[in-house]
This record gives sequence, C-alpha cells and structure tokens, in this order.
Amino acid sequence: MKRLSDLDYLKLNKWQAFWYKFALFFCAIPSALWKGIKKIGGFFKNCGIAVKDEFVDIGSTFKRGNWAVKLSFFIFGFGNLFYGQVMRGILFLLFELVFIAYMVVPTGGIYWLSKGNWFQKGATIGTVQGGFQYNEVFDTDVWVPGDDSVKVMLYGLLTFIFIFAFIYTWRLQVKQCRICMDITAKGKKIRSGKDDVKSLLDDQFHKTLLALPLAGILAFTVLPIIYMVLVAFTSYDAAHDGYSNLFSWVGLDHFNELFNFSQGGLGLTFGEILSWTLMWAFFATFTNYFLGMFVAIMINKKGIKIKKFWRTVLVMTIAIPQFVSLLYVSKLFTTSGLIGRVLEQIPFIHNWRVANNFVSLWDSPTVARILLIVINIWIGIPYIMLMATGILMNIPQDLYESAKIDGASSVQQLTKITLPYMLFVTGPYLLTSFVGNLNNFNVIYLLSGGNPIKGTAGGASVGHTDLLITWLFKMTLGSTESKYYMASIIGILVFLVVAVLSLIVYNVIPSTRNEEDYK
Amino acid sequence: MKMSKILALVLAAMMLVACFVGCNNNGGQTNDNSELAGTYDITMWVSEKEGVADQFKQQIAAFMEANPGIIINASIEGVTEADAGSKVVADVATAPDIYCFAQDQLARLVQAAALAAPGKAAADAIKANNDAGSVAAATVAGTIYAYPMTSDNGYYLYYDKSIISEEDADSLEAIIAACEANGKKFRFALENAWYTASFFFATGCHSNWTMDEGGEFVSIDDTFNSAEGIIAMKGMQKLAKSSCYDSDADTFADAGAIVTGIWNAGAAAEHFGENLGATDLPSFTVDGTSYHLGSYSGNKLMGVKPQTDAKKAAVLSLLAQYLTGEECQKQRFESFEWGPSNKNAQASEAVQSNESLAALAMQNEHAIPQCQIGGSWWDIAKVLGAEAKNAKSDEDIQNALNNYDTAIGAWLDLTPEQRRAWTVIGQVNGSNWDVDVAMVESPENTWTATVELPEGGEFKVRQGYAWTHNFGVDLTDNQGANFKVEEAGTYKIVFSWDGGNYGDVNVEITKVS
Amino acid sequence: MKKQNDNKIRKTGLGARASRRISNTIIYIVLIIITIVWLFPFVGILLESFKTETNMQTPYLFPKEFGFDHYVKLFTKTDFLKWFGNTAIMGVATAVLQTIFILSMSYVLSRLRFKGRKALMNMMLILGMFPGFLTMILIYKVFADAHLIEEMAPLGLIIVYCASSAMGYYVSKGFFDTIPKSLDEAARVDGATRFQVFYKVIMPLSKPIVIYTILMGFMAPWGDFVLASYLIHENSQGMNVAVGMYEWLSRTNMNTHYTMFCAAGVIVAIPVVAVFLALQKYYVEGVTGGAVKG
Repeated sequence: MKRLSDLDYLKLNKWQAFWYKFALFFCAIPSALWKGIKKIGGFFKNCGIAVKDEFVDIGSTFKRGNWAVKLSFFIFGFGNLFYGQVMRGILFLLFELVFIAYMVVPTGGIYWLSKGNWFQKGATIGTVQGGFQYNEVFDTDVWVPGDDSVKVMLYGLLTFIFIFAFIYTWRLQVKQCRICMDITAKGKKIRSGKDDVKSLLDDQFHKTLLALPLAGILAFTVLPIIYMVLVAFTSYDAAHDGYSNLFSWVGLDHFNELFNFSQGGLGLTFGEILSWTLMWAFFATFTNYFLGMFVAIMINKKGIKIKKFWRTVLVMTIAIPQFVSLLYVSKLFTTSGLIGRVLEQIPFIHNWRVANNFVSLWDSPTVARILLIVINIWIGIPYIMLMATGILMNIPQDLYESAKIDGASSVQQLTKITLPYMLFVTGPYLLTSFVGNLNNFNVIYLLSGGNPIKGTAGGASVGHTDLLITWLFKMTLGSTESKYYMASIIGILVFLVVAVLSLIVYNVIPSTRNEEDYK
Repeated sequence: MKMSKILALVLAAMMLVACFVGCNNNGGQTNDNSELAGTYDITMWVSEKEGVADQFKQQIAAFMEANPGIIINASIEGVTEADAGSKVVADVATAPDIYCFAQDQLARLVQAAALAAPGKAAADAIKANNDAGSVAAATVAGTIYAYPMTSDNGYYLYYDKSIISEEDADSLEAIIAACEANGKKFRFALENAWYTASFFFATGCHSNWTMDEGGEFVSIDDTFNSAEGIIAMKGMQKLAKSSCYDSDADTFADAGAIVTGIWNAGAAAEHFGENLGATDLPSFTVDGTSYHLGSYSGNKLMGVKPQTDAKKAAVLSLLAQYLTGEECQKQRFESFEWGPSNKNAQASEAVQSNESLAALAMQNEHAIPQCQIGGSWWDIAKVLGAEAKNAKSDEDIQNALNNYDTAIGAWLDLTPEQRRAWTVIGQVNGSNWDVDVAMVESPENTWTATVELPEGGEFKVRQGYAWTHNFGVDLTDNQGANFKVEEAGTYKIVFSWDGGNYGDVNVEITKVS
Repeated sequence: MKKQNDNKIRKTGLGARASRRISNTIIYIVLIIITIVWLFPFVGILLESFKTETNMQTPYLFPKEFGFDHYVKLFTKTDFLKWFGNTAIMGVATAVLQTIFILSMSYVLSRLRFKGRKALMNMMLILGMFPGFLTMILIYKVFADAHLIEEMAPLGLIIVYCASSAMGYYVSKGFFDTIPKSLDEAARVDGATRFQVFYKVIMPLSKPIVIYTILMGFMAPWGDFVLASYLIHENSQGMNVAVGMYEWLSRTNMNTHYTMFCAAGVIVAIPVVAVFLALQKYYVEGVTGGAVKG
C-alpha cells in the first residue's frame, strides 16, 4: 500500500484518515509478523548470550572469589554474613534451609515430582488409583483414597516454581557476595541492614508498595493460569476428576476437536459463538457509548433544570446490584411477565410470533439478541452518562466562545467540538469496555441464560445468545460432563482472540497519545 | 535486583503455606470401642423445598433416639435434586456425606465413584421393601448403589375444569381447542427431553442405554428415528404450533392445562382453586390413529458418599436406610405429598386417596421406568421439541431425527478418529449388519478394507459407526440401497470421498479370490 | 410596510427563543420517558414485594392487598439475614483491602519510575485477557483443602476479590496521572522521603479516587454470582445474597418465592443505593478523573 506523506495525510478528512490508518494496519501485518519473528529470534539469541555471560561470570566469581565467596556457593548468604550484612545473610540462609526441608520431607517436593509422570503422553498424573474395599465387620464398602491428580499437578507445579526460585536466589546471593567483596576491596562501606530497611520507604518505596499486590496476582492469577494451560493437555473432566479416577496426559489430542467443523463440532460452534460474541461486544459497546453521550449532552444542555434529578434516576441502575435488577427484568419479558403480556397485545408482534411458531420473544434467536442489546443499554447508559458529564465540564469553554464568535450553530458546536473531543479523550475507555463486553457474563447469564438452545458442544448445551464466557461456564459447572480440559482449550483461544482484537483496536482508535496533537 | 529477591521470598512463603495446607487433610476420628456408638459430623443435601430440611432434622433426631449411642451433628442444605448429581460430580472430595438426587444422575455418580454401595444386608432390605421400579432405578450393572426415596418423579395433566370437561381431557386436540377458545395456555415443557420423550413413547419408540460396570455407557438401542418417530413429531407439532402452547411449565400463569408433576401440586391447587382437575396425559390423533401419551416414571434416590472410615460408612448407611424407611416416607408424603417408594407406605390409605398421586398412578400405566440414560441424551433430545415446532415440512422432521441419531452416535464414546473413519457393515466376515469392519486410510480420504462376502452378500460403507453418512450402489444418494455381490469370496473395497458433494464419491469393489 | 418589517424582526427573535424552547421541551419529554423506563423495574420490584395475596408472578403491578408479609417471612423463615450479614462483611472488608491493593499499585505505576515498570504493566494487561473465572477451578480445590469454602466462603471470597484486584489499577492510575508531578518534586527537594510524599502530599489530594475505589470494592460482593457460587458450594451459612436469592427464581421455587425475591431485592438495594447516592459526587470525580486518562 502506498504510504501518504504527512502533508497528504493531513489533507484527509476524519473518515478517510480513519480508513487510511485501518488499511495501513492490515497492510503492515506481514512485515510486522516478519519483524516479530526476527525479534523473537533476536530475543532468544540475546537470552543465549545472557545465559552464557551468566555462566562465565559464575565461573570467574568462583575463581576470583576468596574463601567466603566460594563457601557461599554452597551455603546461602554466607558471604553476606561474612561481610556484615546480617539481615540479608539470614534471609538467604533461611530460604535455603526451607527449600531443602521442603524437598526432602515425606510429602514434599521430591514426592510430588515423582508422582507426576510429567508430560508423558498416556501416563496418569498420580500413580495410585483410589478404590473400594469391602469391610466385613461393618458390612460396608470403604473408600481407600489414592492420589489426587489435581493436587499432584498443583504441588508439582509449585515445586517446579520453587526450584526455579531456588536457582535464581542462589545466583543472586553469589553475585551480591562478589559485589561485597569488590566493594570491600575498594575500601568502601557496605550497605547495612538498617540502610536496607530505610530505603524501603524511600528510593525502594515501590517494592514496599508492590509486595502485597504482586504476591496476590502471582498466587491468584499467574499460578492458576499456568495450571489451566497445563490442564488443556490432560483428560481432566467429570469422569476423570483426579480424586475418584486419575486423569492423564493426552498431549495435543483434544486440540483436534477444534478442527471438527461439522454440525455440533467444536470448531464450528466456536466460530458461531465467537461471531455472536464479537457482534454483541460491538453493539453493546457502541450503542451504550453514543446513547450515553447523547443523554449526557441532553442533561447538561443549558436551560435544562433539575439536572441532579435526571442524573440520579439513571445512576440507580449502577447502584442496585445487577443480579436483582437483571433477574427481575428477565422475568418481565417472559410470556407471563408484565412487559411480555403488553407486547403480546400488539397485533403485529402477536402475528409475527404465531407465524414463526415462537412461544415467547426469547425463543427467536434474533429477537433474543436484540432484546439483550436493548436491555444492556438500560444498564450501560448511566456509566457513560456520568463519564461524559465529567468530560463535558472539562472541555475548555474558550473553544465554544471562539466558535460562537465565528458564528457556529449549536449543532456545529456539537459535531465539531464536543463529539471529537469526547472521542479523543475516551478512546482507551472504549477498548476496555469492548473487552469487558466480550466477557460480560452477568448480563447474558442472568437475562437469557444463553437460550434459545441450539445444540450441544464441548459436553454442554449451547444457545444462540451464549458468549464464549457463558459457554465456558456451562462447560465447567453447568453440565454433568464438566470437561475442564475443553474449557481450558477454549480459554486459551479466548485469550488469543482478545489479544489480537486489542492489538487491532489499539492501533486504529484515536487515543490519549494524540491528545497533545489535538490541542 | 532486590525487587526480584522480595518476589522470590514471597513465592517461597506462599509455597510454604500451600505445602502445609496440602499435607494436612486428615480430619479427626473418634476412637470409641462400642460398635457404632460415637459422634458423627455429617453434611447432607436434601430438596431445597421449604420445610424439607427441617423435617429431615426431626427424623435424624428420631433416628438418634432409636439408636442410643450414636450422636449425629448434621448440617443440612437445600439443593435441588435435579442438580445435586452434577454438583457432586464436579468435586467428589468436597461432596456431602448424604445427598438426594434424581435417578437420571445415577450413572454419572457411579462412574465418578461418588456413591458407596449399600452393604449386603442393606441391599437385601432395599430390594424387599421398595417397589420394583425404584429398585431398578437404583441399580447399575446388577449392583444397588442408592436408597430409593420416592416413586413419584413422573408427570401428568392438571387442567381447569371450568373450560375443559373430563372427556375433553382425554384428547390433546380437544384440550388445545378449549385453551385456544378461552385464551388460556397449554403449558407443556416440550423443550425438555424428559417431557419430549412423552410423544415418542406414545407411538411405541424406545431409547434404552446399556452401561458397563464402570458406569460407562457402551451402546444405545434407540428407535426415535423411525416411522413412529415421525408420527410422534407430527403429534408434537399439533401442540407446538398452536397459539396456546407455552413451553414454560414451571409457572402457572394463564394456564388452562399444564403437564407437570407432584412437586407442583401445591401451586396447582393455588392456581386452579376449585376447578382443579388432575388426570393422566391425553391421547393425540395422527392419520386417524390415536396414541396415548407416555411418560417417564422416575424416582428420587438418596446416596451416601464413599467414606474412608468404615464405622462412619456403616452409620451413614444405617441412617440412609432409616431416612428412606416406611415411617419417614409416610411423613414426607403427609408434609409434601411426595409419593413413597416403600411398598407399605404406598399401601396406606392416605396415599391411596391422594388426587395427584391417583393421576400419577393412572399415567403410570403408560409410563416407562426411567433407567440409566447417558447424560448428554438430555441435551441431544431436547432439541427435538424445538425442531418439531420449527419444522415446515416432513423433510425437516426427518432431518431433525437424523441429526438426533448422529448426535447420539457421536456421543457414544467415539474418539475423533473413529467418528471420522469409514467402516464396512453388512453380511461381511460372517456377521449380519451388527459388526463394523474398519477401513484403513491411505492416502488421505481413501479407505480400504478386505472382507469376506457370502453369495448374494449385501453391505454398505458408513462413517463414524453411524448412519448419517452411508453409501450403497447409488453413490449420489446418501442412505440409498445396499451394495450386493453375486459370488461368494474375498473382496477388496476401496472407498474415496473428500466429504464434498455426494457425486464425488467413488467405490471400487474388486474380487481378490 | 414598516410595521411588517418590525414584525419580521420580532419573529426571528422569537424564532430563536421559540426553537430553543421547542428543543428543550423535546429534551424534557425524552428525559421523562427515560425516567419512566429506568425506574419502572425498581418501582415494579417495590410494588410486587408488598403483594400479600400471592407468591407468584401476576399480570398486574399494584398489590391487591398491601402488606409486609414477605418481609416478615424473609427474616423469620429464611437465612436471608445471614446472607445479608455475610455480604455486608465481605463488602466492608473488600472495600478496605482492595483499596490498599489498588492504590499501592496505581500509585507506584503512576509516580515512581523503576526497572521493569513497563514490563509489569504489559504483564498485567496480558493476564487480564485470560477469562478470569477459569482460575476458579484451581482456587476452589486449594481453598477446599484450606477450609475456605462453604461456611467459610465469605473469607475465601474476600481473598479472591482482593488478591488480584491490583490488576484493575487503570482508573486510579489515570487519576494520579492528573496530579502535577511538580508537587512531588518540590517535596523531594525539601527532603521528604518517597513514603512521606505519598502519605503527606498525594493522599490528601486523592480523596475522590480513594472514595471511588472504596465504593467499587464495597459494591462488588453484592452483585457477584459466578465466583461466589463456586466457593459457597450450596452451603446456606456461607452464601452471599446473590447466590442465596438466585435459587428463589429457579424452576421449582419460582412459584413460591417470586414475591419474596422482590422483597429481598428491595432490602439488598437499600444500603447499596444509600451508600452510592451519598458518595455519588466522588464517584463521578473518580471516574472522570481516572477512566478517561487510563
């Protein structure tokens, strides 16, 4: 594609510029891909170099180091203690002791690692299968528990991470020890434990603040995600739940089901649900966005009274917990609900329903989808309205005044100043809300539950209004098959889809980065 | 650097915690020496209906009185029996000690080793005291796995006497006409397979599953996709296409007639008032023949989770026997109108004179005991109701039934490779349309098999061990007539098709010897 | 002739004012319609909760017999009070903890520069793209071992709500970004440590975003259904209002509990709405200060 010069680009009107950027993005994909590949290659090369450097450095440290440094290769923190960094030394030593203790205790690291049959296709995770044993005395079957695959995998994974941390810590303290040696050699003073603590409130303040949030993210997001990715390569489902029946490694076998594009096949179903999910996210985001902005402009128009009242009315939908209002609204629209009855009185709707043999409005895929989008407007407008109100107040008034002097009508002011300003300022918000809508579980689950039903896939029933996220829910909790492995495969796909979309959107929409240019 | 150090430390601490948590999961045990005496903390899931949990508490108190020495601290939760099974299966380790569930979940529960089978004495008692249907419902591959609790899980008709006469209530068409004329709804949950099956049973279709001892379904004998099935679909259409039809049978709003079960007896009484009528399901007429709607008759069962402690297992078994015994079943009937499975309780006067149970008993003459059914069947078959409603021609109906067949075939534990593979079936290798001979794929999309055929032997090739895609002499017609050979001998069959148009199919049959 | 001219001038003058009046009238009409549509469900819930003549859905809105029967039943016959208490405790605890987590994270990312900052932000962006509730499968298993499910579910849920909450730092980071950096620098020059800058300079200026974050934290547990239903595992002592009340609209309960659901809905809504309306001003400031800069 021909690249325009800056001058030509500036000549384009907004739409042309938008499409230009859009096209540019797609045309850039091949070269970006190539660049990406090169980058990844470079990354590995750099990694290789870094690893090599590390080994060289470790070697030279050992050679150059005095006896204290050499000893700290085996006793963590010895060097720190030797050079007077008591606190660090003790912490390092403690870490080593804890690690060794963890690895060798009877149900410790080595135990868990040995149970996993790691990544051997066809092998069970865990080695002892639980079973029943008949007890003569009490005339009853007793369960003799075996391994629990879920736990074997979890503690195995934790052990791997622990080992990794151990190696890293080892390297860290060896390096610190050498630095101490070098500093002492130069005759300078080494940081004391007191200095360490003090710096945590000053130049190392970020570590203090981040410790807790990061620990939380690692334990409750990173670890479970790694675990779920592993699950995709196993046969973990209700029939092989790990506790009653061990599950096993199956490699990429289950991924094959993704390529089943026949009716009810996973590939086709995924495609169908994805396309509705995208459609939903698009409409849900943009209807809310524009209508919400419109309402905000109306409320904030000069001469409109009791602004606070109108705002409060809308804000009620944010304040009242969604499950109350959504469940109630969904019941309103059934045939026996209040609104359902009123709609039924309209001849056009009644006739259309009878002609299509639909029992209720929720029975027609199209109508159900439209209803969802419409009801979602009811939920979504208030958020945008509040945000837009704030922005409207922030728009520099002199812009309007100079426009007025130039004789711009109020409509022109709206289209030339208000709307573009808002669009620019709220660009990133659009992205977040688009991604949020892709995963908008509550609205779909509480309103339609994914119905009307289309068929089954992935061991769970699938409806016309199911989003990927509600389908995932049905796959894990909502069916007797509980195909966890399938859910995790779909989860990985969802991640890919969202990542690609975000990339596109980031590159196409105007964002705050341009805010300065705009002004 | 130091940042990473903190990270490492935090990780280590987390792992320590996790380790302690992981190592410590053996609960306390009591060491009482007298046979079963002791204190037991147990958890139970029973129906979420109001008052049920309270009654169970009283019954447990009575049990403790009857068995001095045994002290039970029960925490009882209300969980609908329809879902209890799938919730137990989702995590057996944390499941409650005793739970009540609808019998259709038995197979899954056995497969997930979530049920401890009653001991020999207990099993004998169950067999002796309960009706045959409920014992069958609690049995998998010859072993009783659960304690029958009710024999009332069936459906029948409630109707409004002021608009539907007693005679009209015998005819589906008459009920529809009456509802339409009065602007009332005929509520029938056709989009729920449990109810959909009603029409198929009416025309004589059946769907029986066979299960191996591990609780895995191995085959199905299903005749829904047949001439009778088409009649059933047409019958369903009569109702589904009517303006009075509503598939939501959990609410009574505007109902002139509703097909539901005993659990809605109270709501039915409230809705219909003195005009309440209860009877068996009506008949429908297609092409001049009348078919009486069938139904599933089912049970609710009580299950005991496998225990690691034999003593506790024995106590739980004792408790479950008591709670499903005659006295408790009678109490439940009095409070909630749950129809007993216990024979003595069934014979009592109060049960005999109950209007809803009488309707259920009438319908039971047309009912089929609900044995074990593959879990996905419910999802596969419930589509049929919607399909009948939307079908515009006989062809649509046939397609719906074909899809149903395919879906079941696909579900029956076929690997993806098996589902894709082509096989030869017919009078091959001495079999008679009951064994699939595998074909070998090489190169892609070309399948080869060598088979023995008798004189005049017939066969077909089909895909995925199902009849969705199958070919005979007419290669342009899926589902056409069989291949036939004149002479006996060994034949090499080469089949190639890329899955595109039927016209692209190619079959070569050559006599090898 | 002259007179006509006068008329014309007056007409156009009137015309501008008239057109504004017309457009305002239209806006008022639209706003009134919006008010009706937006309030209808809430009024509906309120009215239905007073229907003493029935437990089911009915074709009319106004109760035939007014009464508080359902409310009385709610507190005497069900575990609603327990659920309400659980949710309130979760709301308060989450509000406090989540605020600490989010504010630390967003403050660090907004004001402090250190090695790995960009990488950290990217990591959180990427992690956020995974469907979060899949992580519950593992968390459930671990919590089951640690006895943080069933009647202890509220505690488990507080941990779940808070642990990863720092990933939602965007709005508050946006807010911190709007506070001029020169303030920090001036304080640093005066010899303040970074902690002192945080505590004495930035925090006093951040009242809107702190209250916004507290508000969000407080409201989250009231509406959560998915995560909660996982950990609660059907135990009525550990339920939050959403999970407890969801059962009332199930197929088997709908005909006996519908109006009670409405009554419970009203009671749940009262504290949340009260808190929200009281702090609405800060919410708006927080959103507009933060969301748009993100």
